[in-house]
Amino acid sequence: MRDLPGGRELEMLALELEAERLGTLEGDDRRLVVAMIERARAIAKREAKAGEAALAPVRAALERLYGPGDPAEHFHRLTQDIRAGRFDPPTARRGEIRDLLWALTLQKLRESNPGFLRAHGLE
Amino acid sequence: MLRSPETRYALERYLQHETGATKVAIHAATALTAGAVQENWKIEAEMTGGSLAGRHLLVLRTDAPTRIAASLGRAEEYAVLCAARGAGVTVPEPLFCCSGTAALGRPFFIMQWAEGETSGAKLVRDECGAEQRGEIALSLARELATIHGIRPPRLDLAALGDPPADPAAERVALYRRWLDDFEDPHPVAEWALRWLAREKSAASEIVLLHGDFRTGNYLVGKKAPTAILDWEFANWGDPHEDIGWFCCKSWRFGAIDREAGGLAPRALFYRAYEEHARRTLDTKRLHYWEVMASLRWLLLALQQRERYLRGGERSLALALTGRRPAECEFEILRLIEAGTL
Repeated sequence: MRDLPGGRELEMLALELEAERLGTLEGDDRRLVVAMIERARAIAKREAKAGEAALAPVRAALERLYGPGDPAEHFHRLTQDIRAGRFDPPTARRGEIRDLLWALTLQKLRESNPGFLRAHGLE
Repeated sequence: MLRSPETRYALERYLQHETGATKVAIHAATALTAGAVQENWKIEAEMTGGSLAGRHLLVLRTDAPTRIAASLGRAEEYAVLCAARGAGVTVPEPLFCCSGTAALGRPFFIMQWAEGETSGAKLVRDECGAEQRGEIALSLARELATIHGIRPPRLDLAALGDPPADPAAERVALYRRWLDDFEDPHPVAEWALRWLAREKSAASEIVLLHGDFRTGNYLVGKKAPTAILDWEFANWGDPHEDIGWFCCKSWRFGAIDREAGGLAPRALFYRAYEEHARRTLDTKRLHYWEVMASLRWLLLALQQRERYLRGGERSLALALTGRRPAECEFEILRLIEAGTL
């Protein structure tokens, strides 16, 4: 349910970049790369700290919608159902889906860009 | 591209042929970092005789190794650049276009170098004062109105294809196809597509769109733009689409309260545009195209991410772009729920 690539992969890329290129850079180029490395590590750290527990409300919402089962499969099904128009207005469950999408989006932002939430007066 | 002496020599011969110079010497060729989709080189060239005799700063623009969906080829982009210059848009002077691969191995075009600042982040920071930002926003509104003064049919822009009968429906269909290219599910993008399909209305008129008119894609001098850049996404469409893209939150570089490109309030930009274009903007359409803009940004971010995930480009910058879609998803959900800008 999280966006790709995951935090661990970003951390590995940051390590590679630091070891292979950072020493050769100066000035603005170096500042840009340092900022990217820091951002990758911060995402990885927040994602690891949040863990699977942070997505529990989203998984619970998917279970309410589709019953017990694999959350990844439910997530695919939700996407297909939205495309098929099963939650178009005036569908009764539209509000429930909107809340689920908000919950997932906010959690992804908490991990990838909490500054974005702060800029909007959230959290 | 221009790192090898052989390629530089080939470029010297090309310029010699195009200008009629007796001698061309390239003193320096520097890769420019801007332009994620195209490869741009700054060239210092000296020509003896011919139509461009003297020392010149030029820009050579060619395809990047991995091309992004929906971008024009270099010959088509060159034709649009020429049309824009002819209409009075502030652009770098286009000089030569090579649509074949014989000269340098890839199609490319050459234009004059234009001075100015391109960094969106620097422009929206406080070091650039409110008055200066306002002036820039007004100039940009006039530039965009001038671009939108170019209307089909145009023989010189035949490569852009026929004007769309229903621009919104065509965008929805295109973005649905783009979405199908990704293996992982994106429910908010689907949510947006359903809303956009339901809420669309016919375009009031069809004009030339820049297609990527936003902060970061123009050069700025002291108070005004010195060049509108990056015409690779130009196409025929609804003028509200370019304005929605310019005001899209992702292009405000953190200055989220200055809706017009991080520079000024949207009302100021709209007014200047309306005056210059002699066209009244429709606020419902602007809201619609701003939702579309956030969806487009989301999909472009995913396409950039795919260059890392599946395209073999091991780049942290591309990988990090894969974590940007949530910002667009937030904006899509917020705008749809608000029902207005």
